[in-house]
Amino acid sequence: MQALLVFLSIAALSLLASSRALDPGRFPALARLAASGFLFVLLGIFLGPSVAGVLTERHLEAMRPVMALGLGTAGVLLGLNLEPRLLRLLPRSVYLSGLAHSGTAFFFVALPLLVPLVFTSARGLLGAVGAAAMLGAAASLSSGHSAVLAWRAGRLDRARGLGVALLTMLDDAVGLGVLALALMIGAASNVGEGLGLVCLALLLGVMCGALLAFLTHSLKDLAELTTVTLGGVVLVSGAAAYLRVSPLLAGVACGATLAVVGGRTSERVARALGRVERPVFLVLVFLVGCAVHARDYWAWVLMPAFVGLRFLGKMLGGRFARRLVQQTLVLPPRLGYALIAQGGLALCLVAEYGMLVPGGLSRRVLDVVVMGAVVNELLAGQAFQYVVDPPRGISETSADSDKVAA
Amino acid sequence: MKGAVIRLLLLMVLLAIISRAQVLRADSGTPVMLAAGALLLCGLFAGKVAKGLGLPRLTGYLLVGVAVGPYALGFIPNAGVKGLELVKGLAVSLIALVAGTELRLGLIRRVGARVALLCAAVCGVTFLVCFGATFAIKPFLPFLADMTVPQALAVSALLSTVVVSFSPTVTIAIVQETSARGAFTEFLMALVIIGDLLVMVAFALAAGLTKASFGGGLDVTELLGGVGWELFGSVAVGLVLAVGMLVYMRGVKQELPLFLVGLCFAAAEGGTRLHLSPLLVALAAGALIANLDEHAGERINNAIQQAGLPVFALFFAAAGAGLKLDSLLTVGPAAMLLVALRGVAIWFSCRRFAPADDPRLKRYLWMGLISQAGVTFGLAALVSRTFPTFGPQVEVLIVAMITAHELVGPVLTRRALAASGEIRADDAQGTA
Repeated sequence: MQALLVFLSIAALSLLASSRALDPGRFPALARLAASGFLFVLLGIFLGPSVAGVLTERHLEAMRPVMALGLGTAGVLLGLNLEPRLLRLLPRSVYLSGLAHSGTAFFFVALPLLVPLVFTSARGLLGAVGAAAMLGAAASLSSGHSAVLAWRAGRLDRARGLGVALLTMLDDAVGLGVLALALMIGAASNVGEGLGLVCLALLLGVMCGALLAFLTHSLKDLAELTTVTLGGVVLVSGAAAYLRVSPLLAGVACGATLAVVGGRTSERVARALGRVERPVFLVLVFLVGCAVHARDYWAWVLMPAFVGLRFLGKMLGGRFARRLVQQTLVLPPRLGYALIAQGGLALCLVAEYGMLVPGGLSRRVLDVVVMGAVVNELLAGQAFQYVVDPPRGISETSADSDKVAA
Repeated sequence: MKGAVIRLLLLMVLLAIISRAQVLRADSGTPVMLAAGALLLCGLFAGKVAKGLGLPRLTGYLLVGVAVGPYALGFIPNAGVKGLELVKGLAVSLIALVAGTELRLGLIRRVGARVALLCAAVCGVTFLVCFGATFAIKPFLPFLADMTVPQALAVSALLSTVVVSFSPTVTIAIVQETSARGAFTEFLMALVIIGDLLVMVAFALAAGLTKASFGGGLDVTELLGGVGWELFGSVAVGLVLAVGMLVYMRGVKQELPLFLVGLCFAAAEGGTRLHLSPLLVALAAGALIANLDEHAGERINNAIQQAGLPVFALFFAAAGAGLKLDSLLTVGPAAMLLVALRGVAIWFSCRRFAPADDPRLKRYLWMGLISQAGVTFGLAALVSRTFPTFGPQVEVLIVAMITAHELVGPVLTRRALAASGEIRADDAQGTA
């Protein structure tokens, strides 16, 4: 019955999202949240156990397989985007640039927030370090969708749009790396066992990815290809959930293996999976929203600090990043403003952490990041204006103009 | 076919590894998604292998489900298979929706009366034969042995009512797979659907009599009310759904497969909660749409064929995984006797009562009536819940019979369609 309820809620919101009520001209913030899927987070928070209570904790427990499927799908899509040829072509300065903006935001958030987490943690220093690292990892992530949309709308030139998108793709690796570390610390009784579980997730993903590449290799029929792809994604997510390891990491390993060994098949698989990406994402963020405990007052205290520190980290990190790739990549002035939107992966990270690491601290991390991500999404709309319409005094250098022309 | 065999074997190796890895973990998570992914992929490639061997794909789905399921190799835990009930309801609704679009008024006028008469004859003869046999072997059936004669008669009647039932799901899935079209196929589909309605009414009556024989009293009003609600309530809800679908199809011209899957999901879940028959709800919806707007009926048919492949493969593989092979050992002889008698009764009544104008009906129709699946499972579970003293043992007997019928039925159904000469393609895209 809970599945029916979730379906009906999402169907209702889909209808609402397509209605005139969300006209960007009249309600830009609401329209932005609907377009990015974050409106579903808010709906989840509202219907979840801590507010209206339409969905109870028992319902959410029963919906865990669906959440695992969403995380696994996100992981596979992420892994499929790892284009080995493209990654090899990128100069080292681009990697350093990605690391600079994400690393700065990571340290800006993780270090100061470690202090209150230590004092409120029942799991000792190690637990607090893991939780602070997850806050930092979520803060380090940025979404490139604003840049891509601005480029498609003609408000940002192609080179700059793609430059921002590339940097935001590279920060995913930081987020996933930190997630793996945090799971090693928190998901098992000792670090050795935690490391074993992370390795098991990666191994499972590699095996499923290789098998999926073989299964889809000679399939010509689109319906069959879609079915096998979906089956493979469900299998890797389900196996990870069954073995209580990370579906997200297993999915990334699966997608990356497929991208490496699958050749052209991986492109067809990505296209097939792209057809279900949006509905799966919406269900996932809805469930993540349901898991938020809106009455955790500590989370409300930490959230403004999280948003503020991340903002500062992105501003400074953006400057570092721009300086590091001056010769190779064209980036807009005031890059930091283009990196404010947080995107769905941050939600995936904390949802995964909440699923696998027991205790109140992981729940608080989820509360802070989810609410913070909604605020960041709202801020991002305004912030991006500074990227496409920079104030007077900040103009392109002639070198930038030459690179854009090239 | 060799490629499909290798892929299937590799999948099973992966499942074996996952199953071994789970043993090493102190705590395990929920296996529902694992079951879904594994059964979907295994079903798909087993279907290809079965096709290569000249069998229906559906048989491949069922057999691989049995193989990897909890009662054979045990790669998929029982909890995972049970968690797929939702998919089963969805598949039944989708299949019934397609079947409904085939029920045109013209067809009902043309063959309705003849089908109803033959259905009554087949069900009547089969019921009498099974009823007589069950009562005759009373001393050998542990749950009947200690009952009084009236009680044993009532329980025999209840068991025989369930044993009579057919499987519209399997029949429609095989018709979809083979793209069979023609008078014989129409007759077969109409017969299994009407047979199902007949069994629903007969089951309600037999359950009421059984309750009365055990001292529970016979409340005729409640009995008729229950049957009426299930039949007419289902049709009414189906008509409402049909209007909803038509409005959607005229107003929103995209994402029809997704919409239909969502609606069938809601119909299956909601129907079960309201004590309606999800099969009848979807059947009525499909029939109304096809008769109001022929083009809309065709669009639904095409849309479900797109969404059908994963749903059908998963549904039948899950059905196979749920078959309790051990029950075949415990109640095997009695179950096999009833299977054989049911088959003979159906064969005899078809030979004797089928319309003479089409000799194919006399010769081959019986083969299409052997399958049993979802409806029979549902009725067996209902017997178990309603009569806790003897119901679970009756359920084991019926499940043993279903196991045999599921393995043989699809092959016979396809053979009947092939012999009738109405199979158009042996591999319709995107179906069973």
